[in-house]
Amino acid sequence: MRQISRAAVLWQLIAFIAVVLPHFGWLPWWLIGLCVGAPALRLMIHAGRWPFPHWSIKLALVVAVSGGLLLTFNRDTGMSATVALLVAGLALKMIEIYHRRDALVLLYVALFVAATTFLFYQSIGVALYVMLALGVVITALNSIFQNPMQNDMMRPLRRSGRLLLFSLPMMLVLFLLFPRIGPLWSIPLDRQAARSGLSDTMSPGEISQLTRSDELAFRAAFSDAPPLPSQRYWRSLVYSHFDGRRWTREPWEQRARLEDERLIDESSPVTYEVIYEPSRRRWLVALDQPAVAPRDYRLGYARTLVSDRPVDRRINYEVTSYLQYKLSPELLSERKRALFLQLPEAGNERARALADQWWRAAQQRPEPFVQQVLNYFRGDFSYTLTPPALQGDTIDQFLFETRQGFCGHYAGALAFLLRSVGVPARVVGGYQGGEWNPYEGYLTVRQYDAHAWVEYWQPAGGWVRVDPTAAVSPDRVEGSADQVFAQDPAFLSETPLARLRLGQDGWLAELRRRAEAINFNWHRWVLNYQGQQIELLKGLLGQLSMVKMVLAMMGPVALILAAVAWFQLRDRRRRPSDPISRGLTTILKRLERQGFQRHPSEPLHRFLRRVAEAAPEVADPLLRLAQADEAVRYAEDPGQRDTLLSAVKACQNALARNTSVIHKRIEDEKAGR
Amino acid sequence: MTKALASGVDDALSALEKVLLGKRRQVRLALTCLLSQGHLLIEDLPGMGKTTLAHGLARVLGLEDQRVQFTSDMLPADIIGVSVFESGSGEFRFHAGPVFCQLLLADEINRTTPKTQSALLEAMEEGQVTADGHSYRLPKPFFVIATQNPVTQYGTFPLPESQLDRFLMRISLGYPAPEVERELLAGGDTRERLDGLPRCLKPDQLIEVQSQCRQVHASAGVIDYLQRLIQYTRDSDLFSYGVSPRGGLALLRCARTWAWLDGRNHLVPEDIQQVLEPVIGHRVRPADDIGSHAGARLVNELLAQVDVLG
Repeated sequence: MRQISRAAVLWQLIAFIAVVLPHFGWLPWWLIGLCVGAPALRLMIHAGRWPFPHWSIKLALVVAVSGGLLLTFNRDTGMSATVALLVAGLALKMIEIYHRRDALVLLYVALFVAATTFLFYQSIGVALYVMLALGVVITALNSIFQNPMQNDMMRPLRRSGRLLLFSLPMMLVLFLLFPRIGPLWSIPLDRQAARSGLSDTMSPGEISQLTRSDELAFRAAFSDAPPLPSQRYWRSLVYSHFDGRRWTREPWEQRARLEDERLIDESSPVTYEVIYEPSRRRWLVALDQPAVAPRDYRLGYARTLVSDRPVDRRINYEVTSYLQYKLSPELLSERKRALFLQLPEAGNERARALADQWWRAAQQRPEPFVQQVLNYFRGDFSYTLTPPALQGDTIDQFLFETRQGFCGHYAGALAFLLRSVGVPARVVGGYQGGEWNPYEGYLTVRQYDAHAWVEYWQPAGGWVRVDPTAAVSPDRVEGSADQVFAQDPAFLSETPLARLRLGQDGWLAELRRRAEAINFNWHRWVLNYQGQQIELLKGLLGQLSMVKMVLAMMGPVALILAAVAWFQLRDRRRRPSDPISRGLTTILKRLERQGFQRHPSEPLHRFLRRVAEAAPEVADPLLRLAQADEAVRYAEDPGQRDTLLSAVKACQNALARNTSVIHKRIEDEKAGR
Repeated sequence: MTKALASGVDDALSALEKVLLGKRRQVRLALTCLLSQGHLLIEDLPGMGKTTLAHGLARVLGLEDQRVQFTSDMLPADIIGVSVFESGSGEFRFHAGPVFCQLLLADEINRTTPKTQSALLEAMEEGQVTADGHSYRLPKPFFVIATQNPVTQYGTFPLPESQLDRFLMRISLGYPAPEVERELLAGGDTRERLDGLPRCLKPDQLIEVQSQCRQVHASAGVIDYLQRLIQYTRDSDLFSYGVSPRGGLALLRCARTWAWLDGRNHLVPEDIQQVLEPVIGHRVRPADDIGSHAGARLVNELLAQVDVLG
C-alpha cells in the first residue's frame, strides 16, 4: 500500500484525459460531464482544497452512474455500452487515486479504453493520437514507481520515452509477422451504425438516395493507367425480377440453379486491387467483366462477385477483368429465358404498345430496337436527382408524362421495353466512374457513383451492355457524378460540407487528393495488412509452411530479446548483485551528485565519516553505515551483515529525504566562499 | 594481560614522544618496526635525533643495547668479536663483539666498507654470527637500528639492494616544526631526559606483544588491496622494478602491528597506507631515475592509482 507521489497523481489525471478524449465524439453528454468533473474534483483534492469524498458520496455516484448507463443504453449490451461502462468506471476510480494499487487499476483499464478507440475510428490521425496517449499512460505507469518524495514530472516522461523507443523495433516486427487471427469472439455491432450502399431491390428512386452521401464505397488501385471513364462499369448486382414497380433479385434457390455464363472472347485485361469498405452486405464489385473470382470469394449469379459472409470490415482483393469481352451466345435454357423475360401479366399498356410498334419497325432485331429507345430518351428527357414521384403504371408515367428520371428509371424502362417484345434483358446495379488519384494510382468510388444499366441478350453476341443514361446525359458517363450534379440541391444533401471538399480544381483539391492518397496507403498497408502479409511472407520465404512461419516469427523476436538480455546482463555485471553492494553503489552515486567524491585511496568508512562531518543532516545514518561497513568488510564479522543491510537502507532513505537540504547548504557554502 | 601489554606499549610511546618532541609518527613507526620483529633503518642528516630515538627505544623496551660507530677502516671483527689465544689455558677464546646485545645501534652504517656491512647482514638475517668456523647465537630479541647519511653525502658506501631489503622499514626524522624547535631549545639537555626514561616493558612482555601483533585479522578485502598495490608496482611504468613477495609480507606484518597499536584486532586499508611509505620506499626505484630513492613520490602515485575498493 504505497502512496504515490504528487507528480504521479498529476500524471494519472493527464493519462485519464488523454484516453477518454477521443470518445467524446459519441459519449452521452452526462458521461462527458463526468469525465471532466472527476479529474477536476481530484485536482481540488490534490490542491488540498477539498478532502477525499466520504464513502456515502462515492456510493451515491456509483448508483447514479449505473442508473444513467441503464437509462442511456437501455439494456443494450453493444460495443458503445460496453466502452461507456469502462469509461464511467475509469472516471469514478480517478477520484480516489491515492495508492499505487489504485493507480495500477486505473492505468490498466486506461490502456484498454485507449485500444477501444480503434473500434470507432481508424484514421492515421487517431492512430497517432492513441500512440501519444499510450506514451502518456506508460509515463503515468512509470511515475507511480518512482520515489514518493520525488516530485519531478519530467523524469518518468524521459524514462518512458526511452522505453517506448526501445520497444519500437519489436512492435514493427510483430506488426509485420504476427499472424492475423480471426476474432476469437465478436462484439455485437450497433444497429444504428448501418451504412448506405446498394440494396438488393431497385425501385426507380432508390439509387438517387445514395447520391445524398459522399461516403466511400471502395477504392481500386491500378499499377498502370486506369481504364477510360466510359469503361468504368463496376458490376455488383443483377436484378432480374420485375413486379411492376421495383426490380429485385431472384430468390437464392432460383439463382443457384442457373448455369454459369462463360466468356468466349476476351481482351484488354486489367488487373487491380479493390479495397472495399464494409457494407454489411455480401456483394462485391468488379469491372465488367471479371475473369475469375479472387481467392476467398466467388463468381456467382450472372458473373457478379460475392462473398460468403456479409462484409463487416474493410477487405481487399485482387481481380483481373476484361474490358473487351464477349459472353458465350449459347442458347439460353428455357428456365433462364423465362427468368429474363418475366414481366407482370398486365400494366404499363402504353409502353407495351409503343414497344411493339418499334419492334416491328426494327424488323424484330434487338440492336435497332435499342437504338430506337435511346433516340427516344435523347428527346425531351432529362436526368435529375429529384424526379417526381411515380404511382400506378410507373413505366408508362415515366415514359409519357414526367420524362424526368435517374439512372434507375432509364435502366428499368429499357429492360421493361426489351422484355415486352421478347428480348431477354436484365438490370445491372453497381457503380460507374470513380475519381483518379494520380499520387498513388487508384480510383476512389463513392456512394454517389452508384449506377444502374441494362444487359440484353442477343443470339449472336450473348449478353450485351447498354447504358441508357449515357444517351440522356453523356456527361454522367464520360465525366463524373459530382460534376453532373454539382448544381442539384439534392446532391450530397446529407453532408453539405462535402460539396466544398469535392471541388475538382485548385490547391484545396490538390491537398485533398494528397491527403486521400496517404489515407489510402494507411488503409491498404496498415489497417488491411492481413491480405498483404501472406504475400509478403511468401515473397520472403517462398512456399509457406508452419515451421517457416514459426521460425520467421521467433527469429527476430529472439534476436531482439537476446539483445535486450545482453544489455541487461552487461549492466548486471557492472552492477553488483547483492542488495548491500547495490545499495552502497546507489549511495555513492548520490553523494557524488552532491559533490562528495571518494578518493581512490579512501576506504568507504573513512569517506562516509568525512561526508558525515560535512553534512550533519545525514551524519547519524552515515556514521552507522561507516561502522557497519567496516565491521563487515574488514573485521569480517558475519553477525553484522543484517546491521549493514538496515544501515544501507536507512542511509538511502535519509539521503533521499535530505537531498535538497544538503544541496542547498552546499550551494550556500559555495556562494559564501 | 592484554590490557597491561597495551598500556605498557602506550606508556613507551608517550615517554618517547617526550624525548623526541613532535615526532609522534616516526616514534610510532619505529616502535611498529621493532614490534614486527624487523630491523630499522633511519636515514637522515647528522644531528636530527637518530641516535636519541635508538637509545630511547632501547630504554623503554628494556633492552640491553650497544652502539657501534661505523667508520671506513672498520673490519667485521670489530663488530662480531675476535678469537684470542689465551696463554693460561693454551687455547683460543672468543671475545664477543658489540653485536651480542638485544639492540644494536649501527651508527652511520654507510660509512663503512661493504665487507663490514655484509658481516652485519648475517647477524640481522640469521640471528647468529660466525667467527673462525664457529657459529654463535645472538640473544633474543635482537634488533638492529641502523642510521645512515643521505647517499649523496661525501664518503659513503651506499647499501646494496639486497642489504636494504633486510631492513623492514626505512624512516627519516626530518627537521622539527618551528614551535617544537623553540620548545627544544628552551628545554633541558636531551641526555638527561633520555636517562629519565622509564622502562615500560619486560622482555617476555615484548615477545608476547609481538605474537599478538602477528594474530591481527587480515580480511580478504585488505589482502586484496595489498596485493593490488604490489601488483601495481610491478605493472606500472613508473617503477623500474616492483616489490618482492618478501616486501609484501613485510608490509602486511607492519600493518598488523600498526592496527594492534590502534587497539584493533583487524586490519583496515589505512593501516597499510600508513606503513606503506616506510616499508616499500627503500624497496622500489623510479623508472626515470634509477639512482635515486624517490620513495615518497612513488608511494603517493601508488595510493592515487590503486582503488581501495577494487
